[in-house]
Amino acid sequence: MQKFYFLAALMLLGIGAGAQDFRFGKVSPEEVEEEFHPQDNEADAAILYRSQNVYYEYNDHTGFTLVTDIHERIKIYTKEGFDWATKEISYYQNSKDKEKVTSIKAYTYNLKDGKLIDEKLKNNGIFQEEVSDYRLTTKLTMPAVQEGSVIEYKYTLRSPFVTSIDDTPLQSTIPINRLEVKISIPEYLVFRKYPNTKSPLIIPVDESSKPFVHMSGSRSGGRLEFNQNVYEVNTNNVPALKNEDYVDYLHNYAAFLKWELTYTKFPNSMIENYSHDWEGVAKSIFSDGGFQKEVSRDGFFKKDLDKLLEGVNPQMERAELVFNFLRNKVKWNGYYGFTAESGGKTAFNKGEGNVGDINLLLTAMLKYAGLKVNPVVVSTRSNGIPIYPTRKGFNYVIAAIESGNGMILLDATDPHAAMGELPARARNWQGRIIREDGTSAWVNLNPQLQSQERSVLSYELGEDMVLRGKSVNLHNGLFARNYRENFGGLTEQSLIVNIEKGKGNIILSEVKQENLKAIGTDVKETYGFELSQGVDVIQDKIYLKPFIFKGLSENPFKAEERKYPIFFDFPMLKNTTVNILIPEGFEVEAMPESIITRINDGEGEFKFLVSQNGRFLRLESEFDIKKIIFLPDQYNILKEFYAQMVEKQTEAIVLKKTI
Amino acid sequence: MQNQPTVLIMLRLFTFLFLLVSTTVFFSQGSPYSTNLVDPKLKENANAIVRDEIRSISIEAVDKMRINYRKVVTILNEKGDRYAFAGDYYSDNIKIRHQSLFIYDKNGAEIKKIRAKQFNDRSAISSGTLYSDTRVSYAEFTPREYPYTIVYESEVETNSTIFLPDWNPVRGFYVSVEKSTYKVLNPASLEYRLQERNLENLELEKEQSLNALTYTLSNFPAYRSEPLSPLLEEFSPQLQVALNEFSLVGVKGSGATWKDFGKWQYDNLLAGRDRLPATTINKISQLTANAKDDVEKARIIYDYVQQNSRYISVQLGIGGWEPIPAAEVDQVKYGDCKGLTNYTKALLDSQNITSYYAVVYSGEEKKDIDPEFVSIQGNHVILNLPQDDGKDIWLECTSQTIPFNYIGDFTDDRHVLLVKPEGGEIVKTKTYTPEENVQESNCHINLGEDGSFEASIIRKSRGIPYGNIYRITSVPEKDQVLFYKKHWGHLKNLNLEKPAFQNDREEHEFTETLKFSGEKYTSKAGSRILLPLNFLKIDTYSISGREGRKLPIKIGRGITEADTFEFSLPDGFELEALPEAVTINSEFGSFYIAPQFLEKDGKNIILVERSYTLNEGTWPAESLGEFRDFMYSIHALSNQKAVLVRSN
Repeated sequence: MQKFYFLAALMLLGIGAGAQDFRFGKVSPEEVEEEFHPQDNEADAAILYRSQNVYYEYNDHTGFTLVTDIHERIKIYTKEGFDWATKEISYYQNSKDKEKVTSIKAYTYNLKDGKLIDEKLKNNGIFQEEVSDYRLTTKLTMPAVQEGSVIEYKYTLRSPFVTSIDDTPLQSTIPINRLEVKISIPEYLVFRKYPNTKSPLIIPVDESSKPFVHMSGSRSGGRLEFNQNVYEVNTNNVPALKNEDYVDYLHNYAAFLKWELTYTKFPNSMIENYSHDWEGVAKSIFSDGGFQKEVSRDGFFKKDLDKLLEGVNPQMERAELVFNFLRNKVKWNGYYGFTAESGGKTAFNKGEGNVGDINLLLTAMLKYAGLKVNPVVVSTRSNGIPIYPTRKGFNYVIAAIESGNGMILLDATDPHAAMGELPARARNWQGRIIREDGTSAWVNLNPQLQSQERSVLSYELGEDMVLRGKSVNLHNGLFARNYRENFGGLTEQSLIVNIEKGKGNIILSEVKQENLKAIGTDVKETYGFELSQGVDVIQDKIYLKPFIFKGLSENPFKAEERKYPIFFDFPMLKNTTVNILIPEGFEVEAMPESIITRINDGEGEFKFLVSQNGRFLRLESEFDIKKIIFLPDQYNILKEFYAQMVEKQTEAIVLKKTI
Repeated sequence: MQNQPTVLIMLRLFTFLFLLVSTTVFFSQGSPYSTNLVDPKLKENANAIVRDEIRSISIEAVDKMRINYRKVVTILNEKGDRYAFAGDYYSDNIKIRHQSLFIYDKNGAEIKKIRAKQFNDRSAISSGTLYSDTRVSYAEFTPREYPYTIVYESEVETNSTIFLPDWNPVRGFYVSVEKSTYKVLNPASLEYRLQERNLENLELEKEQSLNALTYTLSNFPAYRSEPLSPLLEEFSPQLQVALNEFSLVGVKGSGATWKDFGKWQYDNLLAGRDRLPATTINKISQLTANAKDDVEKARIIYDYVQQNSRYISVQLGIGGWEPIPAAEVDQVKYGDCKGLTNYTKALLDSQNITSYYAVVYSGEEKKDIDPEFVSIQGNHVILNLPQDDGKDIWLECTSQTIPFNYIGDFTDDRHVLLVKPEGGEIVKTKTYTPEENVQESNCHINLGEDGSFEASIIRKSRGIPYGNIYRITSVPEKDQVLFYKKHWGHLKNLNLEKPAFQNDREEHEFTETLKFSGEKYTSKAGSRILLPLNFLKIDTYSISGREGRKLPIKIGRGITEADTFEFSLPDGFELEALPEAVTINSEFGSFYIAPQFLEKDGKNIILVERSYTLNEGTWPAESLGEFRDFMYSIHALSNQKAVLVRSN
């Protein structure tokens, strides 16, 4: 990791972009001639130049407009890079106002007999799409594109939504050679900027201030003068963002700036605070976000809850009754949001609602039931990570019960999760609990409890070399949650087909699932099996891989190196015990040896224990991971750890005829 | 193998506006929506039950059609939710006149109604398409409990009578049909034709007259999905209807034979769209001046198109059926399949080389343009170059990398419609036989005593396997290496040198030359070493042996895999036991493995020759046992091991 920082810093400081002319239309023949990117010779395309100029325009009648000028020059090296010749600009509308894209100008440059030829983008290559009531898209597709082409376009996006500045990208999935960003904001609107601290790139931002003067067009009007805060990025050679396996969400590691409106201070107006610290954000969500109203209304469910809770005193039992009652009553409609879209009452009556509707209602109900409960705002994985005080950073809400034993997180939109368990979408770093008394605090959303999966495989090797036995699998915690999601509600037929998958020449019998409906308890799955071709017979000897279909046969970590952290879904323990009865007339010639391996002071542990008692063999394998995030510098340790596990789980027992 | 984006052939479809235009009419009285009323037989293997569906198509004029649709569907569980979709697609030429959705609980009591005004509106541009004018109007509903029943009604009007919706009463696996009715009202007595599919042996109610048609299917149980079965549409009941005179977004036409229909397509959609600028023609003439024959000229022209165009799908112009003119493609250098095919054809025309625009259903699953039933069909266009020897040349014009005359599994072995100036003609595209679909490897493996190995492999792919591999050249080296590590996941701790590739685009043969080392290939058993003979694994099918299979077993394409593994034994070891040579022959294919021991240059060698052929074909459900035996025998035989011992 450190090495990477160093290299990246070197690249940023180091080589300049040469003496290229980045004015619009000044594409050089050399740019078209270039056959591959000098720093990243496998890049399919590169952004030779990107300029983003964001500023406010003032008009006597309409006031401020937020304007973004984009100018991009893109080099296309290969056919795989052709996708970069189509640009989609996505923007926003609501019922009152809309953003607009104007002044589109674009050319494709090619060389013909050594001469630079340009081809203009005409209207037949520009398309407007109204995606939904909120989203508009303008699509450009460039003419005359071939390998080597350089395309250049500019356009202006004009937005009436002046209090919201979009994220500023500083990195792309292709290299950026020269990046110039300028953001000028009138002193009336005070934004705070936040770089993405998860990105290994450090790109400096210069800050300065600059006066702005507006002369009114009308006679009666006067002169408007104010200061602007100016933020500038001028940098060269930003490396491409490249994907890896087992990354939580690639964009979390991209370089970008976020902009948060903290307050406005217009002439002759009071300061209007938006948010400037977490307490402020919490307060504003609590009061304006409708939280206060949502979590205090109880009239509409009073009667139902009184009946439900009658005679039940223990707090946690009351909580569980309420949790299950609500989940049966109101179903999630698939929409996110930390605010209630239709409101708890409507959701309660209609039986459906968004995340805000359901979990704020859950909070209200638990409160009514006498629990100390508050909402926790959350950002889902695809919404990024909330790293600074902002309402926009959140898009989801759950409920947290604070009890003597710590915090219990609940999400009633998930039909399979127990109290204290969250679905994967809500398990993104940390959330912010917002208490009624105005205080707030961070809450770790990563699962703290280890989930377990315990299997016992007991079988007999017949003289016909068929393995016959029984498999008992116990799923606990999030394993149980996932099992219920994937294997619950299947017909017997499809359950069998699903279990048989990947197990070879197997026939199942007496498949049974227990506790499927009793959420919060362990799920038990049992079945009998007959596995043919589960052993090798060579020269009177039998070779048996004892874990048959329960072992890991391949190391999932195959790449040589690693740039981003490795994510496990949750802390887990997987224990598999195999009991084998070998046929009469055979004895063990060789058995795998027992081992115990630990990494990082016990954050990961693999135990492999073997014992024998006559014709009975017993092998136990236990994989134990206590942590869910491993940094890139631990990649090789983790890879080796897995390699060892694969090796032990695929090692054969050798049986020979007794003499 | 999940990380194989590199190898997918990225050809694209264009969306013909086959919008299953829907709608409604009749209403029944009472509350018949209680789930208890359903015959238990219809609940078997079902996620959803089509309780009552009526599609009523009124052809009011050659260019005016109204479709009233009503469906009552009971959803039994989450997996059936998709059959509750309540919406219709529309565009400039398809107008929705009415929509409503009612939801009932399991007792048949109404729990929600959604009126037309509350329907959502979105653009419906499919992924891979840059622009079309298609939109969708649909209602959303979150089920609280199962089962529930929806009643969706709609009325749609269009000026395109060329697309009469088909009748597909069985909408998927695990869906049963209590009743489904299809009506065509034809007050003007326009001439029509119909084609029944898989309706034999079914009890149907049918009425047919000059100006009306009604088909009803009742009490049809759900199909269960089974691995390696044919596509649902190959065996499920269907009816197609087409008019002899019709209109496509207002453009009138006629055609009751493929010849006439093709003639209409040519005259209205293609004719006159092939003009090119003189400069381009001159350039092509120069490029092809020294070519020895028309095939070589065509090859040069195809290469020119590939170097000078890219695929962009914009569906405008006569409902998305008309190619953009060749001159426009020449200027902007992009187009969809229609535009690029028409452009290639125009370039060939300029050199007096005959070629035909060929309409096809694309996709890995083969689907024919029905030779027996004339109607607008297909979702893709390729180019046909007739040859005197009957071995026509086929060109896929949307790819910049696919070789000349290689169509692969995207459009192979199926009937297509050639749109000729003199009229349409149905012909079949190239078939890739198991003998042509070959992947053969030659591996030299040096074994270490500790289980490590060094291997060098030369692997050649032809036919369909060619299309699955050749694009690997265009991904970064890091991803190439990762591809092989995943592809051969059974080989541990692989360490690859930079792979070398040779792409023979003329012969459609791709050669990979790979060198790598690995560990733990052999295993120790006491003083012996076990050597698996299965250095590269064979992809065999492992399918459930449950009794009661109903559907046939279908292998869409045959393949041949031939491998030679030459293992050099570690120093100081000799052979103790070697499996015998075996050959299996069956109707499904063949397999042989022949291990032998030899000494070469003072080294002890085990040479394994192995070959596996899977035939293309469809076999009855009863063959399942034999099919499994065939697969598992191959699996067992290829997994055999040799035993090595230390020499004295």
